[in-house]
Amino acid sequence: MKVVTGVVGNDIHVVANRLIDLSLQARGYEVFNLGVNTYLEEFFDAVIETGADILLISSLNGEAEGWGREVPRLKAKYKKLDDIIMMIGGNLVVGTGNAEDIIPRYKGYGFDIVCHQVDLNTGLDSLEEMLKERNLK
Amino acid sequence: MSLLQEEREIIVNNEYVDNFDFAEVKEFVTNASKDLFISHHFKHKAKNKMLVQPRGGFPTYDKQFALSEYFVKANVDVLPLTVDSNTRLNDYATAKKMLRLSEENDVDMLNGYPLVNHGYRTTRKMITHFNKPVSLRHGTPDARLLIETAIASGIFEIEGGPITYLLPYSKNFPLDKAFLYWKYVERVCANYSKLNEPINRESFGPLTATLVPPSITIVIQLLEMLLSLEEGVKSFSVSFAQQGSMNQDIVTGAVLKKLAKHYAAEINCSDAAINLVYHQWMGAFPMNKDSAEQLINIATVIAAMVGADKIITKTREEASGIPTKEANAKTVANTQYTLGILNGLPNVVDEEEEEILTLEVHAIMEAVFNDSADTLWRKVFNSIKNGIIDVPFSPHIINHNNMITIRDAQKNIRIIKRGNVPIPDRCYAYEKGQCDLTKDTTSIVNDIIHDIGIMQ
Repeated sequence: MKVVTGVVGNDIHVVANRLIDLSLQARGYEVFNLGVNTYLEEFFDAVIETGADILLISSLNGEAEGWGREVPRLKAKYKKLDDIIMMIGGNLVVGTGNAEDIIPRYKGYGFDIVCHQVDLNTGLDSLEEMLKERNLK
Repeated sequence: MSLLQEEREIIVNNEYVDNFDFAEVKEFVTNASKDLFISHHFKHKAKNKMLVQPRGGFPTYDKQFALSEYFVKANVDVLPLTVDSNTRLNDYATAKKMLRLSEENDVDMLNGYPLVNHGYRTTRKMITHFNKPVSLRHGTPDARLLIETAIASGIFEIEGGPITYLLPYSKNFPLDKAFLYWKYVERVCANYSKLNEPINRESFGPLTATLVPPSITIVIQLLEMLLSLEEGVKSFSVSFAQQGSMNQDIVTGAVLKKLAKHYAAEINCSDAAINLVYHQWMGAFPMNKDSAEQLINIATVIAAMVGADKIITKTREEASGIPTKEANAKTVANTQYTLGILNGLPNVVDEEEEEILTLEVHAIMEAVFNDSADTLWRKVFNSIKNGIIDVPFSPHIINHNNMITIRDAQKNIRIIKRGNVPIPDRCYAYEKGQCDLTKDTTSIVNDIIHDIGIMQ
Protein backbone atom coordinates (compact mmCIF):
# COMPACT_ATOMS: atom_id res chain seq x y z
CA MET A 1 0.00 0.00 0.00
CA LYS A 2 1.43 3.38 -1.05
CA VAL A 3 1.29 6.56 1.05
CA VAL A 4 2.22 10.11 0.11
CA THR A 5 3.05 12.27 3.15
CA GLY A 6 4.50 15.66 4.01
CA VAL A 7 4.05 18.86 6.04
CA VAL A 8 1.75 21.42 4.42
CA GLY A 9 2.56 25.09 3.83
CA ASN A 10 5.51 27.12 5.12
CA ASP A 11 6.10 24.76 8.02
CA ILE A 12 9.68 23.56 8.64
CA HIS A 13 8.88 21.25 11.61
CA VAL A 14 10.70 18.16 10.45
CA VAL A 15 10.91 15.85 13.48
CA ALA A 16 7.35 14.52 13.41
CA ASN A 17 7.52 14.21 9.63
CA ARG A 18 10.50 11.87 9.90
CA LEU A 19 8.77 9.88 12.64
CA ILE A 20 5.61 9.47 10.53
CA ASP A 21 7.82 8.23 7.68
CA LEU A 22 9.55 5.67 9.95
CA SER A 23 6.29 4.53 11.56
CA LEU A 24 4.55 4.01 8.23
CA GLN A 25 7.51 2.00 6.98
CA ALA A 26 7.45 -0.05 10.18
CA ARG A 27 3.82 -0.88 9.45
CA GLY A 28 4.71 -2.07 5.97
CA TYR A 29 3.61 0.86 3.82
CA GLU A 30 5.57 2.12 0.84
CA VAL A 31 6.22 5.78 1.74
CA PHE A 32 6.73 8.78 -0.53
CA ASN A 33 7.75 11.56 1.85
CA LEU A 34 7.67 15.08 0.37
CA GLY A 35 9.15 16.53 3.58
CA VAL A 36 8.46 19.95 5.08
CA ASN A 37 7.21 23.13 3.34
CA THR A 38 5.00 21.31 0.84
CA TYR A 39 2.23 22.99 -1.15
CA LEU A 40 -1.13 21.34 -1.67
CA GLU A 41 -0.62 20.97 -5.43
CA GLU A 42 2.59 19.03 -4.81
CA PHE A 43 0.70 16.51 -2.68
CA PHE A 44 -1.92 15.82 -5.35
CA ASP A 45 0.69 15.70 -8.12
CA ALA A 46 2.65 13.13 -6.10
CA VAL A 47 -0.46 10.98 -5.53
CA ILE A 48 -1.07 10.86 -9.30
CA GLU A 49 2.60 10.25 -10.05
CA THR A 50 3.03 7.39 -7.56
CA GLY A 51 -0.47 5.92 -7.81
CA ALA A 52 -0.77 6.21 -4.03
CA ASP A 53 -3.74 4.85 -2.10
CA ILE A 54 -3.40 7.18 0.86
CA LEU A 55 -2.55 10.87 1.29
CA LEU A 56 -1.41 11.77 4.81
CA ILE A 57 -0.90 15.50 5.36
CA SER A 58 0.53 16.87 8.59
CA SER A 59 0.80 20.33 10.12
CA LEU A 60 2.42 21.62 13.28
CA ASN A 61 2.20 25.38 13.12
CA GLY A 62 -1.55 25.20 12.47
CA GLU A 63 -1.59 26.74 9.03
CA ALA A 64 -3.32 23.60 7.68
CA GLU A 65 -6.56 25.43 8.45
CA GLY A 66 -5.84 27.91 5.65
CA TRP A 67 -4.80 25.18 3.22
CA GLY A 68 -7.59 22.76 4.19
CA ARG A 69 -10.33 24.92 2.78
CA GLU A 70 -8.60 24.80 -0.64
CA VAL A 71 -8.77 21.00 -0.78
CA PRO A 72 -12.26 20.44 -2.31
CA ARG A 73 -11.69 22.97 -5.13
CA LEU A 74 -8.23 21.64 -5.95
CA LYS A 75 -9.11 17.96 -5.66
CA ALA A 76 -12.01 18.45 -8.09
CA LYS A 77 -9.53 19.58 -10.74
CA TYR A 78 -7.78 16.20 -10.64
CA LYS A 79 -9.51 13.14 -12.02
CA LYS A 80 -8.92 9.65 -10.50
CA LEU A 81 -8.58 10.98 -6.95
CA ASP A 82 -12.02 9.84 -5.74
CA ASP A 83 -10.82 6.58 -4.23
CA ILE A 84 -7.85 7.79 -2.20
CA ILE A 85 -8.02 7.88 1.56
CA MET A 86 -7.29 11.39 2.81
CA MET A 87 -5.91 11.79 6.28
CA ILE A 88 -4.69 14.88 8.15
CA GLY A 89 -3.02 15.12 11.53
CA GLY A 90 -0.95 17.22 13.89
CA ASN A 91 -1.87 20.53 15.41
CA LEU A 92 -4.69 21.68 13.17
CA VAL A 93 -5.43 25.21 14.40
CA VAL A 94 -3.38 28.31 15.19
CA GLY A 95 -3.76 28.90 18.92
CA THR A 96 -6.20 26.60 20.71
CA GLY A 97 -9.39 24.88 19.63
CA ASN A 98 -11.32 21.76 20.57
CA ALA A 99 -11.61 18.56 18.60
CA GLU A 100 -15.46 18.66 18.46
CA ASP A 101 -15.29 21.78 16.29
CA ILE A 102 -12.19 20.87 14.34
CA ILE A 103 -13.00 17.32 13.18
CA PRO A 104 -16.32 18.12 11.39
CA ARG A 105 -14.71 21.14 9.75
CA TYR A 106 -11.88 19.11 8.23
CA LYS A 107 -14.28 16.29 7.24
CA GLY A 108 -16.13 19.00 5.34
CA TYR A 109 -12.90 19.74 3.47
CA GLY A 110 -12.87 16.11 2.31
CA PHE A 111 -10.63 14.38 4.85
CA ASP A 112 -11.65 10.84 5.86
CA ILE A 113 -9.54 10.76 9.03
CA VAL A 114 -8.79 13.84 11.15
CA CYS A 115 -6.34 13.62 14.04
CA HIS A 116 -6.01 16.81 16.07
CA GLN A 117 -3.27 16.46 18.69
CA VAL A 118 -3.60 12.68 18.63
CA ASP A 119 -0.71 10.32 19.44
CA LEU A 120 1.00 9.03 16.27
CA ASN A 121 0.27 5.34 16.80
CA THR A 122 -3.38 5.97 17.69
CA GLY A 123 -3.71 7.92 14.46
CA LEU A 124 -2.12 5.19 12.37
CA ASP A 125 -4.31 2.56 14.08
CA SER A 126 -7.38 4.46 12.92
CA LEU A 127 -6.00 4.35 9.39
CA GLU A 128 -5.71 0.55 9.60
CA GLU A 129 -9.28 0.32 10.85
CA MET A 130 -10.53 2.33 7.89
CA LEU A 131 -8.58 0.13 5.49
CA LYS A 132 -10.25 -2.94 7.04
CA GLU A 133 -13.70 -1.35 6.84
CA ARG A 134 -13.19 -0.68 3.18
CA ASN A 135 -11.87 -4.22 2.65
CA LEU A 136 -8.53 -2.90 1.46
CA LYS A 137 -6.55 -4.87 3.98
CA MET B 1 41.30 45.95 -7.64
CA SER B 2 41.12 42.28 -6.59
CA LEU B 3 38.12 40.17 -7.54
CA LEU B 4 37.16 39.91 -3.89
CA GLN B 5 37.24 43.69 -3.47
CA GLU B 6 35.10 44.10 -6.60
CA GLU B 7 32.57 41.67 -5.14
CA ARG B 8 32.63 43.57 -1.83
CA GLU B 9 31.87 46.87 -3.59
CA ILE B 10 28.85 45.23 -5.25
CA ILE B 11 27.63 43.64 -2.01
CA VAL B 12 27.66 46.87 0.03
CA ASN B 13 26.12 48.85 -2.81
CA ASN B 14 22.63 48.03 -1.63
CA GLU B 15 19.63 50.34 -1.27
CA TYR B 16 19.36 49.41 2.42
CA VAL B 17 22.98 50.34 3.15
CA ASP B 18 23.96 53.93 3.85
CA ASN B 19 27.29 54.71 2.12
CA PHE B 20 29.74 51.97 3.18
CA ASP B 21 33.21 53.47 3.76
CA PHE B 22 35.81 50.64 3.52
CA ALA B 23 38.76 52.92 4.37
CA GLU B 24 37.11 54.18 7.54
CA VAL B 25 36.15 50.62 8.60
CA LYS B 26 39.73 49.45 8.10
CA GLU B 27 40.98 52.25 10.32
CA PHE B 28 38.34 51.43 12.95
CA VAL B 29 39.29 47.73 13.09
CA THR B 30 43.02 48.55 13.19
CA ASN B 31 42.58 50.80 16.22
CA ALA B 32 39.73 48.92 17.94
CA SER B 33 40.02 48.06 21.63
CA LYS B 34 41.47 44.57 22.26
CA ASP B 35 38.57 43.97 24.65
CA LEU B 36 36.20 43.73 21.69
CA PHE B 37 38.04 40.68 20.32
CA ILE B 38 36.96 37.37 21.80
CA SER B 39 40.15 35.86 20.32
CA HIS B 40 42.07 38.15 22.68
CA HIS B 41 40.03 36.94 25.68
CA PHE B 42 40.55 33.29 24.70
CA LYS B 43 44.29 33.92 24.64
CA HIS B 44 44.51 35.78 27.95
CA LYS B 45 41.68 34.43 30.10
CA ALA B 46 42.54 33.08 33.52
CA LYS B 47 43.23 29.36 33.34
CA ASN B 48 40.06 27.28 33.13
CA LYS B 49 37.71 30.28 33.31
CA MET B 50 35.01 29.48 30.85
CA LEU B 51 33.52 32.49 29.05
CA VAL B 52 29.76 32.82 29.48
CA GLN B 53 27.62 33.96 26.59
CA PRO B 54 23.83 34.15 26.42
CA ARG B 55 21.65 34.45 23.29
CA GLY B 56 19.46 37.45 22.54
CA GLY B 57 18.26 39.97 20.02
CA PHE B 58 15.51 42.61 19.97
CA PRO B 59 14.35 44.70 17.00
CA THR B 60 15.00 48.23 18.27
CA TYR B 61 18.30 49.83 19.23
CA ASP B 62 16.93 50.86 22.62
CA LYS B 63 15.77 47.37 23.57
CA GLN B 64 19.01 45.76 22.38
CA PHE B 65 20.93 48.34 24.40
CA ALA B 66 18.80 47.62 27.50
CA LEU B 67 19.33 43.85 27.07
CA SER B 68 23.10 44.32 26.84
CA GLU B 69 23.01 46.52 29.95
CA TYR B 70 21.22 43.73 31.88
CA PHE B 71 23.80 41.21 30.69
CA VAL B 72 26.70 43.41 31.78
CA LYS B 73 25.13 43.79 35.23
CA ALA B 74 24.87 39.98 35.42
CA ASN B 75 28.63 39.72 34.79
CA VAL B 76 28.49 38.51 31.20
CA ASP B 77 31.75 37.67 29.37
CA VAL B 78 30.53 37.76 25.78
CA LEU B 79 27.48 39.69 24.52
CA PRO B 80 25.24 38.17 21.85
CA LEU B 81 23.65 39.87 18.90
CA THR B 82 20.99 37.63 17.39
CA VAL B 83 19.69 38.69 14.00
CA ASP B 84 16.00 38.50 12.95
CA SER B 85 14.71 35.90 10.50
CA ASN B 86 13.98 38.33 7.61
CA THR B 87 17.60 39.50 7.60
CA ARG B 88 18.69 35.84 7.64
CA LEU B 89 16.81 35.41 4.34
CA ASN B 90 18.23 38.71 2.94
CA ASP B 91 14.74 40.27 3.01
CA TYR B 92 15.81 43.73 4.18
CA ALA B 93 12.59 45.37 2.92
CA THR B 94 10.40 43.39 5.32
CA ALA B 95 12.92 43.85 8.13
CA LYS B 96 12.79 47.62 7.56
CA LYS B 97 8.99 47.71 7.68
CA MET B 98 8.84 45.53 10.81
CA LEU B 99 11.53 47.61 12.51
CA ARG B 100 9.46 50.75 11.92
CA LEU B 101 6.35 49.08 13.32
CA SER B 102 8.33 47.93 16.37
CA GLU B 103 9.67 51.45 16.96
CA GLU B 104 6.29 53.15 16.55
CA ASN B 105 4.15 50.73 18.56
CA ASP B 106 6.52 49.45 21.20
CA VAL B 107 5.64 45.86 20.19
CA ASP B 108 8.36 43.52 18.93
CA MET B 109 7.61 42.64 15.31
CA LEU B 110 10.96 40.91 14.70
CA ASN B 111 12.62 37.96 16.47
CA GLY B 112 16.06 39.64 16.46
CA TYR B 113 18.11 42.74 15.66
CA PRO B 114 17.94 43.76 11.97
CA LEU B 115 21.63 44.63 11.77
CA VAL B 116 21.76 45.65 8.10
CA ASN B 117 18.87 48.09 8.50
CA HIS B 118 20.33 49.66 11.65
CA GLY B 119 23.66 49.97 9.85
CA TYR B 120 27.20 49.92 11.21
CA ARG B 121 27.46 53.57 12.25
CA THR B 122 24.54 53.22 14.69
CA THR B 123 25.38 49.73 15.93
CA ARG B 124 29.05 50.57 16.52
CA LYS B 125 28.00 53.14 19.14
CA MET B 126 26.40 50.38 21.21
CA ILE B 127 29.25 47.89 20.78
CA THR B 128 32.00 50.37 21.69
CA HIS B 129 29.93 51.70 24.61
CA PHE B 130 29.89 48.30 26.35
CA ASN B 131 33.44 47.41 25.23
CA LYS B 132 32.74 43.65 25.53
CA PRO B 133 33.27 41.06 22.80
CA VAL B 134 30.10 40.50 20.77
CA SER B 135 29.14 37.28 18.99
CA LEU B 136 26.95 37.41 15.88
CA ARG B 137 24.23 34.73 15.92
CA HIS B 138 22.18 34.38 12.77
CA GLY B 139 21.49 31.35 10.49
CA THR B 140 22.08 32.99 7.11
CA PRO B 141 23.15 31.01 4.02
CA ASP B 142 24.20 34.23 2.22
CA ALA B 143 25.73 36.31 5.00
CA ARG B 144 28.04 38.49 2.89
CA LEU B 145 26.43 41.87 3.57
CA LEU B 146 25.59 40.91 7.14
CA ILE B 147 29.23 40.09 7.94
CA GLU B 148 30.56 43.28 6.35
CA THR B 149 28.11 45.23 8.52
CA ALA B 150 28.94 43.22 11.64
CA ILE B 151 32.70 43.69 11.47
CA ALA B 152 32.28 47.38 10.65
CA SER B 153 30.15 47.62 13.80
CA GLY B 154 32.83 46.05 16.01
CA ILE B 155 31.40 42.53 16.14
CA PHE B 156 34.51 40.35 15.97
CA GLU B 157 33.03 36.88 16.36
CA ILE B 158 30.98 35.39 13.53
CA GLU B 159 28.99 32.20 14.04
CA GLY B 160 27.89 29.84 11.29
CA GLY B 161 29.08 28.00 8.24
CA PRO B 162 27.88 26.60 4.92
CA ILE B 163 26.79 23.25 6.38
CA THR B 164 25.73 24.09 9.92
CA TYR B 165 23.63 27.10 8.90
CA LEU B 166 21.95 25.29 6.03
CA LEU B 167 21.16 21.64 6.79
CA PRO B 168 19.20 22.35 9.99
CA TYR B 169 17.32 25.40 8.69
CA SER B 170 16.42 25.10 5.01
CA LYS B 171 14.57 22.72 2.70
CA ASN B 172 15.99 23.76 -0.64
CA PHE B 173 18.52 26.63 -0.54
CA PRO B 174 21.29 25.38 -2.90
CA LEU B 175 24.15 23.99 -0.86
CA ASP B 176 26.82 24.77 -3.47
CA LYS B 177 25.87 28.45 -3.37
CA ALA B 178 26.11 28.42 0.43
CA PHE B 179 29.72 27.14 0.19
CA LEU B 180 30.69 29.99 -2.14
CA TYR B 181 28.95 32.68 -0.05
CA TRP B 182 30.73 31.41 3.05
CA LYS B 183 34.06 31.40 1.23
CA TYR B 184 33.60 35.17 0.88
CA VAL B 185 32.89 35.42 4.63
CA GLU B 186 36.04 33.46 5.51
CA ARG B 187 38.20 35.65 3.26
CA VAL B 188 36.81 38.89 4.66
CA CYS B 189 37.37 37.61 8.22
CA ALA B 190 40.90 36.49 7.32
CA ASN B 191 41.79 39.87 5.82
CA TYR B 192 40.52 41.85 8.80
CA SER B 193 42.41 39.47 11.10
CA LYS B 194 45.71 40.91 9.83
CA LEU B 195 44.92 44.39 11.17
CA ASN B 196 44.57 43.79 14.91
CA GLU B 197 43.63 40.69 16.92
CA PRO B 198 42.07 37.88 14.79
CA ILE B 199 38.35 37.76 14.03
CA ASN B 200 37.02 34.54 15.56
CA ARG B 201 34.85 32.21 13.48
CA GLU B 202 32.61 29.73 15.25
CA SER B 203 30.83 26.72 13.79
CA PHE B 204 27.32 25.73 14.91
CA GLY B 205 27.72 22.21 16.30
CA PRO B 206 24.19 21.57 17.59
CA LEU B 207 22.88 21.07 14.00
CA THR B 208 19.29 19.80 14.32
CA ALA B 209 19.74 19.14 18.08
CA THR B 210 17.81 15.91 17.56
CA LEU B 211 19.71 12.64 18.10
CA VAL B 212 22.71 13.69 15.99
CA PRO B 213 25.50 11.18 16.76
CA PRO B 214 28.86 12.65 17.88
CA SER B 215 30.71 11.27 14.83
CA ILE B 216 28.56 13.36 12.45
CA THR B 217 28.83 16.45 14.67
CA ILE B 218 32.63 16.18 14.87
CA VAL B 219 33.11 15.55 11.13
CA ILE B 220 31.08 18.65 10.26
CA GLN B 221 32.94 20.73 12.87
CA LEU B 222 36.29 19.64 11.44
CA LEU B 223 35.27 20.29 7.84
CA GLU B 224 33.95 23.78 8.54
CA MET B 225 37.13 24.49 10.51
CA LEU B 226 39.30 23.37 7.56
CA LEU B 227 37.26 25.41 5.06
CA SER B 228 37.81 28.43 7.29
CA LEU B 229 41.51 27.91 8.05
CA GLU B 230 42.38 27.29 4.40
CA GLU B 231 41.13 30.82 3.63
CA GLY B 232 43.42 32.28 6.31
CA VAL B 233 41.23 32.50 9.44
CA LYS B 234 43.49 32.39 12.54
CA SER B 235 41.00 31.82 15.37
CA PHE B 236 38.24 29.23 15.17
CA SER B 237 35.78 27.70 17.64
CA VAL B 238 34.43 24.19 17.19
CA SER B 239 31.26 23.50 19.15
CA PHE B 240 28.68 20.94 20.15
CA ALA B 241 25.59 20.79 22.33
CA GLN B 242 24.72 18.75 25.41
CA GLN B 243 23.74 15.32 24.12
CA GLY B 244 22.01 13.66 27.06
CA SER B 245 24.82 11.52 28.50
CA MET B 246 27.63 13.13 30.51
CA ASN B 247 30.10 10.45 29.49
CA GLN B 248 29.32 10.87 25.80
CA ASP B 249 29.78 14.65 26.13
CA ILE B 250 33.17 14.22 27.79
CA VAL B 251 34.27 11.74 25.11
CA THR B 252 32.99 14.01 22.33
CA GLY B 253 34.84 17.02 23.74
CA ALA B 254 38.10 15.08 24.06
CA VAL B 255 37.96 13.63 20.54
CA LEU B 256 36.87 16.93 18.98
CA LYS B 257 39.77 18.83 20.62
CA LYS B 258 42.33 16.17 19.68
CA LEU B 259 41.20 15.82 16.06
CA ALA B 260 40.78 19.57 15.48
CA LYS B 261 44.49 19.99 16.30
CA HIS B 262 45.38 16.98 14.16
CA TYR B 263 43.54 18.10 11.02
CA ALA B 264 44.63 21.76 11.40
CA ALA B 265 48.24 20.52 11.44
CA GLU B 266 47.60 18.40 8.34
CA ILE B 267 46.99 21.58 6.32
CA ASN B 268 49.86 23.46 8.03
CA CYS B 269 47.58 25.68 10.09
CA SER B 270 48.84 24.82 13.57
CA ASP B 271 49.38 28.54 14.20
CA ALA B 272 45.58 29.07 14.31
CA ALA B 273 43.96 29.10 17.77
CA ILE B 274 41.24 26.42 18.13
CA ASN B 275 38.65 26.87 20.90
CA LEU B 276 35.91 24.60 22.21
CA VAL B 277 32.36 25.86 22.75
CA TYR B 278 29.59 24.00 24.58
CA HIS B 279 25.88 24.70 24.12
CA GLN B 280 23.50 24.05 26.99
CA TRP B 281 20.72 21.58 25.96
CA MET B 282 19.38 22.61 22.53
CA GLY B 283 16.53 20.09 22.23
CA ALA B 284 12.97 20.30 23.47
CA PHE B 285 12.87 22.01 26.90
CA PRO B 286 10.61 21.35 29.90
CA MET B 287 7.62 23.72 30.24
CA ASN B 288 8.21 23.80 34.01
CA LYS B 289 10.57 26.75 34.51
CA ASP B 290 12.15 25.39 37.66
CA SER B 291 13.00 22.14 35.87
CA ALA B 292 14.41 24.20 33.01
CA GLU B 293 16.75 25.90 35.51
CA GLN B 294 17.96 22.54 36.81
CA LEU B 295 18.64 21.38 33.26
CA ILE B 296 20.63 24.56 32.58
CA ASN B 297 22.62 24.08 35.75
CA ILE B 298 23.51 20.47 34.91
CA ALA B 299 24.65 21.63 31.46
CA THR B 300 27.05 24.06 33.12
CA VAL B 301 28.55 21.27 35.21
CA ILE B 302 29.03 19.09 32.11
CA ALA B 303 30.61 22.01 30.21
CA ALA B 304 33.15 22.25 33.03
CA MET B 305 33.84 18.49 32.84
CA VAL B 306 34.27 18.83 29.07
CA GLY B 307 36.72 21.70 29.57
CA ALA B 308 34.94 24.13 27.26
CA ASP B 309 36.43 27.58 26.60
CA LYS B 310 32.96 29.13 26.25
CA ILE B 311 29.44 28.14 27.21
CA ILE B 312 26.30 29.38 25.44
CA THR B 313 23.31 29.59 27.73
CA LYS B 314 19.57 28.94 27.53
CA THR B 315 16.88 30.41 29.79
CA ARG B 316 14.11 29.11 32.04
CA GLU B 317 11.64 30.50 29.48
CA GLU B 318 12.99 28.41 26.59
CA ALA B 319 9.81 26.35 26.16
CA SER B 320 7.52 29.37 26.07
CA GLY B 321 9.07 31.70 23.49
CA ILE B 322 11.59 34.55 23.23
CA PRO B 323 12.92 35.14 26.78
CA THR B 324 12.63 38.43 28.65
CA LYS B 325 15.85 40.31 29.38
CA GLU B 326 15.36 39.58 33.08
CA ALA B 327 15.19 35.79 32.58
CA ASN B 328 18.10 35.91 30.17
CA ALA B 329 20.32 37.88 32.56
CA LYS B 330 19.34 35.55 35.42
CA THR B 331 20.79 32.57 33.53
CA VAL B 332 24.07 34.43 33.05
CA ALA B 333 24.33 35.21 36.76
CA ASN B 334 23.39 31.63 37.73
CA THR B 335 25.89 30.13 35.30
CA GLN B 336 28.69 32.36 36.58
CA TYR B 337 27.82 31.34 40.15
CA THR B 338 27.85 27.62 39.30
CA LEU B 339 31.19 27.97 37.51
CA GLY B 340 32.61 29.81 40.51
CA ILE B 341 31.78 27.04 42.98
CA LEU B 342 32.73 24.10 40.73
CA ASN B 343 36.09 23.06 42.09
CA GLY B 344 38.13 19.87 42.15
CA LEU B 345 36.53 18.28 39.13
CA PRO B 346 37.60 14.70 38.49
CA ASN B 347 39.38 13.84 35.27
CA VAL B 348 37.23 11.32 33.44
CA VAL B 349 38.65 9.41 30.46
CA ASP B 350 36.85 6.59 28.64
CA GLU B 351 39.49 5.11 26.36
CA GLU B 352 37.25 2.57 24.64
CA GLU B 353 34.59 5.12 23.70
CA GLU B 354 37.27 7.57 22.55
CA GLU B 355 38.84 4.95 20.34
CA ILE B 356 35.53 3.99 18.70
CA LEU B 357 34.59 7.61 18.07
CA THR B 358 38.04 8.49 16.72
CA LEU B 359 37.91 5.57 14.28
CA GLU B 360 34.47 6.64 13.05
CA VAL B 361 35.54 10.25 12.48
CA HIS B 362 38.74 9.24 10.67
CA ALA B 363 36.80 6.86 8.40
CA ILE B 364 34.25 9.53 7.39
CA MET B 365 36.96 12.20 6.92
CA GLU B 366 38.97 9.82 4.74
CA ALA B 367 35.91 9.12 2.57
CA VAL B 368 35.38 12.88 2.14
CA PHE B 369 39.05 13.48 1.21
CA ASN B 370 38.94 10.56 -1.24
CA ASP B 371 36.19 12.20 -3.28
CA SER B 372 37.54 12.94 -6.74
CA ALA B 373 36.63 16.67 -6.75
CA ASP B 374 39.45 19.23 -6.96
CA THR B 375 38.69 21.46 -3.96
CA LEU B 376 37.69 20.74 -0.38
CA TRP B 377 34.32 22.48 -0.59
CA ARG B 378 33.38 20.39 -3.64
CA LYS B 379 34.48 17.19 -1.87
CA VAL B 380 32.28 18.11 1.09
CA PHE B 381 29.40 19.05 -1.19
CA ASN B 382 29.62 15.69 -2.99
CA SER B 383 29.88 13.81 0.31
CA ILE B 384 26.66 15.33 1.58
CA LYS B 385 25.01 14.62 -1.77
CA ASN B 386 26.20 10.98 -1.62
CA GLY B 387 25.10 10.49 1.97
CA ILE B 388 28.65 9.98 3.30
CA ILE B 389 27.60 12.76 5.66
CA ASP B 390 24.00 12.30 6.82
CA VAL B 391 22.42 14.54 9.48
CA PRO B 392 19.46 13.01 11.35
CA PHE B 393 16.32 15.15 11.14
CA SER B 394 17.63 17.66 8.60
CA PRO B 395 14.78 19.14 6.55
CA HIS B 396 17.04 19.76 3.52
CA ILE B 397 16.28 17.85 0.31
CA ILE B 398 19.99 17.10 -0.27
CA ASN B 399 20.30 15.22 3.04
CA HIS B 400 19.87 11.44 2.77
CA ASN B 401 17.98 10.81 6.03
CA ASN B 402 19.07 7.19 5.97
CA MET B 403 20.96 7.18 9.23
CA ILE B 404 18.88 6.16 12.26
CA THR B 405 19.98 6.79 15.84
CA ILE B 406 18.59 5.86 19.23
CA ARG B 407 19.65 6.15 22.89
CA ASP B 408 21.13 3.26 24.85
CA ALA B 409 20.43 2.63 28.56
CA GLN B 410 22.95 5.33 29.58
CA LYS B 411 21.30 7.77 27.13
CA ASN B 412 24.27 7.75 24.77
CA ILE B 413 23.24 8.39 21.16
CA ARG B 414 23.93 5.25 19.09
CA ILE B 415 23.81 4.55 15.36
CA ILE B 416 21.52 1.61 14.60
CA LYS B 417 21.30 2.23 10.83
CA ARG B 418 24.33 3.80 9.15
CA GLY B 419 22.86 4.45 5.69
CA ASN B 420 25.68 5.49 3.37
CA VAL B 421 27.90 6.83 6.15
CA PRO B 422 31.16 4.80 6.19
CA ILE B 423 31.04 3.82 9.88
CA PRO B 424 33.65 1.01 10.16
CA ASP B 425 32.12 -2.44 10.76
CA ARG B 426 33.75 -2.87 14.16
CA CYS B 427 32.38 0.48 15.40
CA TYR B 428 28.95 -0.21 13.90
CA ALA B 429 28.78 -3.54 15.71
CA TYR B 430 29.82 -1.82 18.96
CA GLU B 431 27.16 0.90 18.59
CA LYS B 432 24.39 -1.59 17.86
CA GLY B 433 25.65 -3.85 20.63
CA GLN B 434 24.77 -1.18 23.22
CA CYS B 435 21.09 -1.16 22.21
CA ASP B 436 18.17 -3.54 22.54
CA LEU B 437 17.32 -4.21 18.91
CA THR B 438 15.19 -7.29 19.48
CA LYS B 439 12.08 -5.11 19.64
CA ASP B 440 9.76 -4.69 16.66
CA THR B 441 10.15 -1.55 14.56
CA THR B 442 7.06 0.20 15.95
CA SER B 443 8.47 -0.05 19.50
CA ILE B 444 11.79 1.32 18.26
CA VAL B 445 9.98 4.31 16.72
CA ASN B 446 8.27 4.85 20.08
CA ASP B 447 11.70 4.73 21.74
CA ILE B 448 12.98 7.37 19.31
CA ILE B 449 10.04 9.65 20.18
CA HIS B 450 10.86 9.16 23.85
CA ASP B 451 14.59 9.72 23.25
CA ILE B 452 13.98 13.07 21.57
CA GLY B 453 11.96 14.37 24.50
CA ILE B 454 14.07 13.01 27.38
CA MET B 455 14.51 16.39 29.08
CA GLN B 456 10.82 17.35 29.06
